[in-house]
Amino acid sequence: MKILEIKNVHKIYNSTHIQVHAVNGVSVDFKEGEFAAIVGPSGSGKTTLLNMIGGLDKPTEGKIMIARTDPAQLKSSELIDFRLNNIGFVFQSYNLIPVLTARENVEFIMNLQKWPKNKRFKRTKEMLEAVGLGDRLDSKPAQLSGGQQQRIAVARALASKPKFVLADEPTANLDSKSTETLLDIMEELNRNEKITFIFSTHDTRVVKKARRVVTLEDGKVISDERK
Amino acid sequence: MILKTAWKNVWRNKVRSMVVIISVTIGIFGGVFAVAVMNGAIDQRVDASLNNEISHIQINREDFRQNQGLKMTLDQPGKFRANLLDKEGVNGVAKRLITQGMANTANKSTGVQINGVDPVEEKNVLRLHEKIIPGTGGYFEKESRYNLAVIGETLAKELNIIRYIIDEEMLDSLHNREVPDDLLAKLKPLTGTRFRSEDGFEEKIQEILTKQEVSSYGRILSEEAWSFRERSKLTLTFLDVNNYQTGAMFRVAGIFDVKNNMFEESQVFVDIDDLQRLTGLPDGAAHQLIVRLDNREETKPVAEQIKQMAPGLEVMHWKEIQPDLAMMTDLVQNFYAAFMIIILAALAFGIVNTMLMVVLERTKELGMLTAIGMNKKRVFRMIMLESVFLSIIGGIVGMIVSKIVIMLTSNQGINFYSYSEGFEAMGFSAHIYPSISNTFFIVVTILIIITGILSSIYPALKALKLDPADALRTE
Repeated sequence: MKILEIKNVHKIYNSTHIQVHAVNGVSVDFKEGEFAAIVGPSGSGKTTLLNMIGGLDKPTEGKIMIARTDPAQLKSSELIDFRLNNIGFVFQSYNLIPVLTARENVEFIMNLQKWPKNKRFKRTKEMLEAVGLGDRLDSKPAQLSGGQQQRIAVARALASKPKFVLADEPTANLDSKSTETLLDIMEELNRNEKITFIFSTHDTRVVKKARRVVTLEDGKVISDERK
Repeated sequence: MILKTAWKNVWRNKVRSMVVIISVTIGIFGGVFAVAVMNGAIDQRVDASLNNEISHIQINREDFRQNQGLKMTLDQPGKFRANLLDKEGVNGVAKRLITQGMANTANKSTGVQINGVDPVEEKNVLRLHEKIIPGTGGYFEKESRYNLAVIGETLAKELNIIRYIIDEEMLDSLHNREVPDDLLAKLKPLTGTRFRSEDGFEEKIQEILTKQEVSSYGRILSEEAWSFRERSKLTLTFLDVNNYQTGAMFRVAGIFDVKNNMFEESQVFVDIDDLQRLTGLPDGAAHQLIVRLDNREETKPVAEQIKQMAPGLEVMHWKEIQPDLAMMTDLVQNFYAAFMIIILAALAFGIVNTMLMVVLERTKELGMLTAIGMNKKRVFRMIMLESVFLSIIGGIVGMIVSKIVIMLTSNQGINFYSYSEGFEAMGFSAHIYPSISNTFFIVVTILIIITGILSSIYPALKALKLDPADALRTE
């Protein structure tokens, strides 16, 4: 079942002197349960495309449909709620809330979604155990390594069972061992939880793990390879 | 969750938060304590006025206050007084005869209001008898073959009922006030000398001391050397019932100090029987009844009830008798509010500044929160709560510090000795006992919360304007 449809999407940035065509007519679909990587060199439009998929940015032209909804048509407040209930985010620099513990960070989205307390606690514990940090429930981000923080970010993104997870360069700040662990965990969660993962990356280790690789260059899809 | 996160965010940068909290604490303490001192001074002024000068209610004939005619006496004042004493809420009633006259001593004379009072009745209404300066006599206590008068400290000075004595006690006091020993040695030979006037004392001082010594220590010497002359003679002259000039010699029975120069200067108290006899008014005559109530707050309704009892008489409560005092008490309430609002407004700018820095520093995090689905209402609430927490913590600490300092100072009072002349000229005591009502504390607490909310609006709006995609790109 198609979960994400990208139809002839363009994104043009107008700066004072020049016009930048960051995404130039991209059309690509993603199905439920995919573990896909969008790759390409710097400036190829990966992050811009990911931002548009995540509803953080709007296409200049074209349409993105997420589970039959066009986020560009939603009002600002509806769009935030739409993101809350449908999309999980994993960022390059983890972006955990530094004053909260691992447990509180993972709970955060479920809290916003008003999950009942016991259900929230159970899910948080389950997710932290799934990312191998069941014993670090009360640690604050500053007490954890980069790899551990990113695993918590993954747990946070998945805990509320979104339709898909967008991960922007999730391994860029990690060493190879942490990258490997993180990728294994994400792959396992993808299989077990049936949640679609879309990465933007130029990390070859991620590309190797991905079951589908969409390559961008100059804002265009130059290849779409399934393994 | 938002509440918990906001609370934890407050302590993210402990030093900065503490700086804001301490500045709010100092601001609130400064404001509340200044208001407590002002309020204490005004409360004391009102209490002093009611206890020593005017009482709660005054009753006289309608035309008496304007004309002050000697014959404008009340009908059956004794019976009326007895009726008033039976009334609920009335604590004491005293009869008075009042006339205008001149107070004269050998070298000075001045216009005064002469109040004929019954000392026993008067003690149940006013506290003037407790304000007699020690060593100057008493409040009509001693039997005397002379007519007795009780006068104020300012009038005593004005009429020169003072003397200057250089004695061992004075030299000891000067030594304690760190007057140099060589100067004391020059004064020593004058031990036991009395001067009947300030001029005589000053002349002698200038004779034995250098100009430099006089300019440095002259005031201290005067302060320590002067004292009131006990049982001085004083002549009071006034009109009798037939409009003939009359008068008599009085002895000063005591000198009162009520820290109100105007009152001290203008009021003389004599025995009502003496004044009645000298003016030729009939036995038991009275121009005025002064009434003390159990509770100051009941003044207005009780005055209304007395009006019903005594149609045709002028029944005035203290706010009508001293409208300036009434206006002051009402006006200062607004002033206190304005004063606190100004302080809080200044603090609000500090909080706004801090919260803007917070938003700027956390741009990326706020972008992330919006990206993952935290809506604007929640972002706004989180920033607002952080700001409210900062103000409330500072506010509560400021209030606690204020309460403690007010409690500590309200027993001992604060002595503004060096400004006593200015204070007393305005009718205020220079020894102030700070006081504040619980209502004021509640109002200030509400104002602090409002300040916290208002000062969060601009930074919170800034946070709402952040574009999550741009914010996430921030380093």
